[in-house]
Amino acid sequence: MRRSLALNLLLVVGCLLLVDLLLVNTWIGAFAEMVREWIVLLAAAAAVAGVIALAARHLADLRAGRGDRIGSVVLLLGMSGMLVAGLRPGAAGTTDPAVQWLTGALLVPLAASVVALVFVFLLSAIRRSARAGGRETAVMLGATAAVVILMLPIGGRPGEVLADAARWTLAVPIGAVFRGLLIGVAVVGAVSALRVLLASDADD
Amino acid sequence: MTDRHSAPRPRRALLPLASVLLISAALIVPDQALSGLVRLDDPGGPAAGELRALIRSLPERPLLLVGFDPDLGTYAEIRPAVRAMLDDLFRHEARIGIVSFSPEGRALAVAEIDRLRRAGFEDDRLVDLGYRSGAEAGLIQTIELVVPDAERGLVANGIRIAGGGLDAFDMVLLVGGTDFGPRAWVEQILPRLPDLRLAAIAPTVLGPELAPYRRTRQLIALVATLRDNAAYVEMVRGGPAPPPDTSGGDRPADAAAMLVGLLVTLGILGETLLRRAAWRQPGPRS
Repeated sequence: MRRSLALNLLLVVGCLLLVDLLLVNTWIGAFAEMVREWIVLLAAAAAVAGVIALAARHLADLRAGRGDRIGSVVLLLGMSGMLVAGLRPGAAGTTDPAVQWLTGALLVPLAASVVALVFVFLLSAIRRSARAGGRETAVMLGATAAVVILMLPIGGRPGEVLADAARWTLAVPIGAVFRGLLIGVAVVGAVSALRVLLASDADD
Repeated sequence: MTDRHSAPRPRRALLPLASVLLISAALIVPDQALSGLVRLDDPGGPAAGELRALIRSLPERPLLLVGFDPDLGTYAEIRPAVRAMLDDLFRHEARIGIVSFSPEGRALAVAEIDRLRRAGFEDDRLVDLGYRSGAEAGLIQTIELVVPDAERGLVANGIRIAGGGLDAFDMVLLVGGTDFGPRAWVEQILPRLPDLRLAAIAPTVLGPELAPYRRTRQLIALVATLRDNAAYVEMVRGGPAPPPDTSGGDRPADAAAMLVGLLVTLGILGETLLRRAAWRQPGPRS
């Protein structure tokens, strides 16, 4: 069976990191450390490349007059603002006061607002799916209502009962489901990695 | 059948408007004025007490690492608890290094470090260990070396003297987010350093994912619900000898406003369930 160069590399790196985890050997340890150094550099390079690709894509969209032009302008202005604040001559990078102001006064509240909107959109989505019917929607509605009731911040004895029930729900049914999920994800991850290492998914 | 979408526009806007007005009104009323009717913290929950007891049990002038990787969206939820924890650590004369593995975590860490320095915590107590790229690969590298070469100061030197890697620390406190959280630490670090003690503060959304690690004691303390966050803040700030408050008045969510918001949500969910039952009724539809 012919294997691609990338797959061969993956095989070598995967085996090396696995052996490094299992055995204490100076030579293997040093080699694994060098590979990890490459991975870190690659990740940093990928992040920079991602930013450049995003900017290029939106510049091209603006030039061609396609897509969401206002969104592209806002994105490019935001990127430029942050880059100028952090990279202008004399700036201190991420610790520069201008960068900190942009982060604290704009970025954090904006991101928190977007997350808060998820709640509104979720409610809207629930209403739409309720219209479409289906047993799953009813289960989702019931579960959502139960969680909301458990989260009610009320005082006194009723509040204590709700808090106890919420703690039990998180520890037992939800905890059991997530423990199963974690084990399942780990098994699937190990099997997928093994299939890749053994190149049985070479066509992928 | 009358449908929400066929209702006149002013009527359709009535519910959101009334909800916003109610929540705003609840925000104005202080929780204390409602004398026990609303309560956000969980007085019976063990999570907050465990984290507090863990910090109290630390040796004198402990050397601690804070893995600071919250995300911009959920940090607002855990910020009061994180700030209370940092204040509590400094009251215990802790020497702290702060490191991040996600860009968002780094942005927030810079702001927190700046806040702490303005509150008077200097290089003899605090060291900025910066941002490590490469996510899990970067995390594994810190096992051997966590202090940047250029970093000077008493804490940085203290870490170097103790070996320079993660096992130099008495404990690692993790501030989790959706990009990079305590799960990565448990999965990547504990198999390599099984004796390292990990504790975490995380947003509610990560609670179910992290609860199994808490049960297996891979995380020796976990504060990961809004109730536990509020209880921890209450515990630190309301104790007999509270630490200097550097939070700038930052407090957990307003309980009354949250109660109104959740009741509105329940109302909407109930109405949706009733409508769903009506839609499923056999017969001609308009």
